[in-house]
Amino acid sequence: MSQYKIIFTGPVGAGKTTAINSISDVPPVKTDAAASDMTKNRKSSTTVAMDYGVMNLAGGEKIHLYGTPGQERFDFMWDILTVGGIGLILLLDNTRADPFQDMKFFLDAFGKFINDTSVAIGVTQMDLSGKPTIDDYHAQLQTYGLKPPVFEVDAREKNDVSLLVQALLYSLDPGLAE
Amino acid sequence: MKKGSHTPARIALYGMDDRTCKTMEMYLKGPCRGVAVVVRETEADIDVIDADHPRAKDILDARKAATPNRPIILLSLQDLRIDNTFFIKKPVNVTQIVDVLGKIKAATAPRKVFFNPVKAAETPPAPVEPVKQAPPEPPRKMAMDVYAKKPAGVKHVDVSEQQKTAKHQSAVQLNEGGFTAFLGTVSDIDFEDSAQLLTACYDPRQSFLGYVQSAYKTANLQSRALQLNSIWKPLIIFPESQEIWLDADDKQLRAFAGMTLGKNATGSMVLVPFDNGKAADRAMDKFQNMNTFIWKLALWTSKGRFPIGLDIQRPVFLVTWPNFTRLVITPDALRMAALLVSTPKTPLEVVSLLRVKPQYVFAFISACHALGLLRQSERQVDTVIAAEPPQKSTNKSLLRKILGKLLGA
Ligand SMILES: Nc1nc2c(ncn2[C@@H]2O[C@H](COP(=O)(O)OP(=O)(O)O)[C@@H](O)[C@H]2O)c(=O)[nH]1
Ligand SMILES: [Mg+2]
Repeated sequence: MSQYKIIFTGPVGAGKTTAINSISDVPPVKTDAAASDMTKNRKSSTTVAMDYGVMNLAGGEKIHLYGTPGQERFDFMWDILTVGGIGLILLLDNTRADPFQDMKFFLDAFGKFINDTSVAIGVTQMDLSGKPTIDDYHAQLQTYGLKPPVFEVDAREKNDVSLLVQALLYSLDPGLAE
Repeated sequence: MKKGSHTPARIALYGMDDRTCKTMEMYLKGPCRGVAVVVRETEADIDVIDADHPRAKDILDARKAATPNRPIILLSLQDLRIDNTFFIKKPVNVTQIVDVLGKIKAATAPRKVFFNPVKAAETPPAPVEPVKQAPPEPPRKMAMDVYAKKPAGVKHVDVSEQQKTAKHQSAVQLNEGGFTAFLGTVSDIDFEDSAQLLTACYDPRQSFLGYVQSAYKTANLQSRALQLNSIWKPLIIFPESQEIWLDADDKQLRAFAGMTLGKNATGSMVLVPFDNGKAADRAMDKFQNMNTFIWKLALWTSKGRFPIGLDIQRPVFLVTWPNFTRLVITPDALRMAALLVSTPKTPLEVVSLLRVKPQYVFAFISACHALGLLRQSERQVDTVIAAEPPQKSTNKSLLRKILGKLLGA
C-alpha cells in the first residue's frame, strides 16, 4: 500500500511538533538512536530526529504526518520526505525576526512539491505578536502569485490545526464532500 | 483538562535535548493525561534517563550518587536490565509509562516518599493546560496604552492583549442544524423556488451592518478610535488594533443585526470621537477582533439572503482565503472558499457545482463581501486573470477519508 503523507514544515519553534501531536492518533516520543555505552552490542545507527504522527482513517487506511527536522537547511532528506506527500502545511512563527523571510525560504525550498500539490500556511504565536497581520502575509504572497489559505493558528489548538489541514484538502479539490 | 484525583509524579529528564524534553513534557500532559509532570532535578521524585545517550552510563552513575533513594527509569531501544532501575522500551507508549509509574508508586507508597500531597501543594506541578507565556503580574495598563506603537524591531508580549479573550477564540464550526439555529430562518422566502431566490435580498445600508462598515472605514481613514451610537448599545472601534468593544452577547447582537432599520433608527446613528476617559470601565472580555465581528454581523444580517449591491447574475471570486480559524464557519464555507479563490463563479453556479444550499452560499458571500475579500468579475477578463481551478486531486477517496476523520474527531 502506498504511503500517504502530509508534510509539516517551518522554522524551529513554529509549532510543528505541537501541531502534529494535536491531530495525531498516536503522538509518539521521538527516538534518537545514537551509540550508547549501555547498549554496546548494538550496531550504531543514526536516525534523523523527525516528528511523526499518524491519523487512522476509516477502512484501515492511515495518513502519515511528518515534520521536517528543525535545522533551517535544505537537505536531500526533504526531497525524500515529500515522496508520496499529498500537500504541505507551512507553519510560521510570528514572533521571529523576519517571518516573511522564513516564508520565502520554505516556499522556495518546497517549490516543486507545492507546485505539484498544495500548501496551507498557519501563522503561529499571533497571540504573542500580532504583526505582521494575516493580510500582510497575503500581500506578500500575492507578489509570488500565490493564494493559499493563511490562517492564524495556535498549534496547541486541535481545531486550528484541523481547519488548516481541511483547507489544504479543499484546495486540492473543492468538490470534496464529506 | 481537569487535574486527576491523583497527584502527578514529578520527574526529571536526563540525556535528552530540549526538543525531546519538550515532546516528553507534552506527551505526559496530553496522551498520558498528566500522570507525570516534568520538573527540575531538585524537585523531582523520579529520574528518567535516555539510556541511548552516548554518555548514559555516566549520567546514571551521577544520578545514583546524587539521590540514591530516587527511583530511576531508563528509556532505550534495547532491552536493558540494570539493577535498581525501571525500564521502558522505546518507542515509549502511554501504557508503559503508566505501568512503570504505578510500579514505582506501589513500591514506595508505604513510605510516603513520593506523591506526597502536602509537598505537591507547596510546589504546584506545572498546569496541565498549556499556558500562554505571560509574565505573572499583568501591569495595570489603561486600555488605550495597548494601542501605542511598539518599538520597531523588538517584539514583545503584550499582557493586556492576552487578557482579551474574545479575539483569541477559535472558530465555531456549524453543522446544518447549527446554522439554522444560528441564523434563524427567513420565513417569507422559499429558497426552493428559483424565482423567489433571485429576490431573496437584503440591503446592508438599512441595517446595523452598513453603519458599522462605514464607521469602520472612517475610523481607519482618520486613524483614531470612534464610537458609533445608535438606538442600541454604543460600539467602539479601535482601528490601530483592529478591534471593537461592545457590551452585548452574540444573541443580542444577532437580534439587532437582523432588524431592518427605519427612519427613527437611522436618524439616531451618530459617529463621534471616542472619549478615552472611562477606559477602565471597559471589560477586557468585551473586545472582539474587528473581522471576526463584522463576519458574524454580516451572517446574521444576511440570514441566507443575498446583499443588494452585488449582482447575483455575475461571477464572484475571493481575493484571499478568509482567516477561518477566527471566524464562524457556516456549512460548506471552506469548500466555497477553495472554489472561489481559484475561479470566479456565479452564486448559482456555486450552488450547483458544490451542491450547497443557496442560503449557505448567500450568507457566505455576504460575510466575505463585508470583509472586503470578495470581488465581482466584470466579464471574461477577470476570469482570465484568476487562477486556474485546482486540478491536483490525488486520491479523492483518501482525501474524503481524511476529512471525515478531521470532522468526526
Ligand atoms: N503562545 C503560543 N505558543 C505556541 C503557539 N503554537 C505553538 N506554541 C508553542 O511553541 C512552542 C514550540 O512549538 P514546537 O511544536 O516545539 O515547535 P517546532 O520546533 O516547530 O516543532 C511550544 O511550546 C508550543 O506549545 C501559539 O500559537 N501561541
Ligand atoms: Mg519540533
